Amino acid sequence: MKFFIKANAVVLILTLILAGCGGKEAGSGAAPGGSNSTNGEPAGEKTLTIAQGNDIMGFDIHNHSNTPTEAVHINLFEYLVKKDKDMNRVPGLALSWEKLDDLTWRFQLRDDVKFHNGDPFTSADVKYTLDRVRADKTLVDNSAYKLIESVNIIDDHTVDIVTSVPDPILLNRLSRLGSGVLPSKYIEENGFDYFLKNPIGTGPYKFSNWIRDDRIELVKNSDYYGDEPKWDKLVFRAIPEDSTRVAEVLTGNVDIAMNIPPEDMERIESNDTTHTIQFASQRVMNLIVRHTEGRVTADPKVREAIDLAIDKQALVDGIVEGAGVVTRTGVGPGNFGAQPDLYEAALYDPEKAKQLLAEAGYPDGLTLTLSSPTGRYMKDKDIAQAIAANLEEVGIKVNLEILEWSKFSEKNKSNSFDELYLFGNGNSMFDAYLPLSNNSAQNVVGSIDYNNPRVEELLSLAEKNLNEPEREQQLQEVQNILAEDRPRIYLFQTKSNYGVNDRIEYQPRLDEMFIADEILLK
Amino acid sequence: MGKYIYRTVLQIVPVLFIISLIVFILVHVTGDPVNLMLPDTATPEEREILTAALGLDQPLYIQYGLYMKNLLSGDFGTSFRYNESALPIVLERLPASFELAGAAMLIAVVLAVPLGILSAVKRNSLLDLILSSISVLGKAMPNFWVGIMLILLFSVSLGMLPVSGRGTLQHLVLPAITLGTGVSVEMMRLIRSSMLEILGQDYIRTARSKGLWETVVINKHALRNALIPVVTITALQLTNLVSGALVTETVFAWPGMGQLLVQAVYTHDMAIVQAAVFVIALMVIFVNLASDIVYGLLDPRIKYR
Repeated sequence: MKFFIKANAVVLILTLILAGCGGKEAGSGAAPGGSNSTNGEPAGEKTLTIAQGNDIMGFDIHNHSNTPTEAVHINLFEYLVKKDKDMNRVPGLALSWEKLDDLTWRFQLRDDVKFHNGDPFTSADVKYTLDRVRADKTLVDNSAYKLIESVNIIDDHTVDIVTSVPDPILLNRLSRLGSGVLPSKYIEENGFDYFLKNPIGTGPYKFSNWIRDDRIELVKNSDYYGDEPKWDKLVFRAIPEDSTRVAEVLTGNVDIAMNIPPEDMERIESNDTTHTIQFASQRVMNLIVRHTEGRVTADPKVREAIDLAIDKQALVDGIVEGAGVVTRTGVGPGNFGAQPDLYEAALYDPEKAKQLLAEAGYPDGLTLTLSSPTGRYMKDKDIAQAIAANLEEVGIKVNLEILEWSKFSEKNKSNSFDELYLFGNGNSMFDAYLPLSNNSAQNVVGSIDYNNPRVEELLSLAEKNLNEPEREQQLQEVQNILAEDRPRIYLFQTKSNYGVNDRIEYQPRLDEMFIADEILLK
Repeated sequence: MGKYIYRTVLQIVPVLFIISLIVFILVHVTGDPVNLMLPDTATPEEREILTAALGLDQPLYIQYGLYMKNLLSGDFGTSFRYNESALPIVLERLPASFELAGAAMLIAVVLAVPLGILSAVKRNSLLDLILSSISVLGKAMPNFWVGIMLILLFSVSLGMLPVSGRGTLQHLVLPAITLGTGVSVEMMRLIRSSMLEILGQDYIRTARSKGLWETVVINKHALRNALIPVVTITALQLTNLVSGALVTETVFAWPGMGQLLVQAVYTHDMAIVQAAVFVIALMVIFVNLASDIVYGLLDPRIKYR
């Protein structure tokens, strides 16, 4: 018996020691006393808790291309130009701006703004921020800023931004990821690594605590120059498992949960204290089609037959359970240059598809390969399977290739896909040029080999055209041509599914940002 | 014994070297992080610039040489995902992992030892049948399913415990039960079979024929010997729990090593994978050494040379 006790005691002590090693808080930058969202909220403190599927990438605003990260950062770092709920440009850290000539823009900055450490915000901070991202080619977001030639300080609160070519979307660039103004003096004094661990900005909320893969906490900035921040504390939780995120919103621990699976929407809606919201996102699902000589899809009739064979509305209703809007263009409303005639529109005519195949010389059908990622987009694999079934109905035999994302991504970058592959394109620039330029010949040579000289001409005009009405027409014409040429067969614009607690009033944004002060406590 | 420990410690160096080589090769041949880091719209030129900046354009042997050189000064490189030094990121996960593993192991031992003995002593009884069925069932139920069911029952329906995250003791309960019960069924079966084997030995019959009380026979003569394999399994499971609780950690959004590794593999965050595997390997080696020492203490017949 003594031995039994001894042996068991050894194991128990070992486990207790290990358990004891675990403190209450872990992680760099962990502040003592960080409360949990379930019941640690002090009386009267207003805490907003939001659950996303992934943790943020850190605080280097120039070195990621990740929307959920920007959705957190936007409460901490501010842009010169902001976007309101309807995606209209409104003054941010810049009170006003004007175009001095085709290459130069002058921004008048606010003079009442302070960083979280008390340093005043000046032109030097704008220069530091934009110089860093435009000059350092190794930064992930460099490509969006490399057209900026120089940033010139006129005085403490006036700054000129000069571009190397006329840039019609400069203001769009300055109101998105990568242009949150950084504290130049603070970084020069303490170093960038210190900033990454103790980030400060000018926003309505200050950094408090980050436990990787768990939560990031921001607290109210009482010295904010604008309206008083509405929340005392913001908690962004990283909850990768869908059903856990659903359970958190059902139990009221989380106010807003993102990316709710379609099959769980009803449960959240029928729960007494929660509701669901579906809201359009910038992502458009599409099939990319190879025009390369020698492929069956080089024939426009085959491409049209594929388009006509796919029942897009059935994909929206049946597969993603309503979380989509059918479209024939990659540019949705809310983006400059959108072509409304092609939105909420879809072609579906399997009989005509069969006829086109026969005309193209395939009366007995043909075989092609369709590749799809799995787990990357909502129901991606299921969408691909449904498309394959649609195509089989008109006599197109499909080899379905389902790949895990990193494999898919690698195959994409090495241009080794066959006839069709499923993709979901986002657009953080809110301008039609970016998604359309994905089809320009120089960007698809070796991959789908689409080349239409008129599209090339229109795109190169629109890239530099500062005349907005004219530019809008050019971009719309490109979309009309693409809808006929089909370098991509557009399926639907996805909607994001949100689970929301009834205690708050929340309207999602097209850019998927969580701007805390637009979210109200009822 | 002293010699044995000395020799084992010396063996650590080549073992770690081989592990670091294998991991290095695996993470470098399985994919390119640049594709995942840049937006879809990145041009080939932008990809080349980033590849060069990360040093991934160099031949593999040069990259390995550089990696080993830095490793000797304790530098595992920079995490692509976090833009920070990899080793501190891995080390900051250890408390959460140890906390969960320790609690799970406690639950496993407390459940498995008495139930395993009971099941062996009352062999072929109704109780044994029930316990054996439970252990088979427990083995068959995947962790993520158990976790989600526990959340639905205790958090959503009864509102007794938090759903996920880490912070208070309540947060620990559900993930520890999920993980602990999974280990305990395995441990219980091991204790049962190990006890049964020993209960059939001659010296047990001798003990009984001497007229000793059954409890003394079980506790003093049988259990002592039956526990030896259990200690080894416990030690091995502990390292498993620290490094490999990835399913449970994901379900409960528990910020431990498992989640870190999974995310790092998904994003090809090479430095994190290398540092994490290195730390885990070191842990496994030391736990094995410790269990060997405990083994020797428990059974005086075992001698290490």
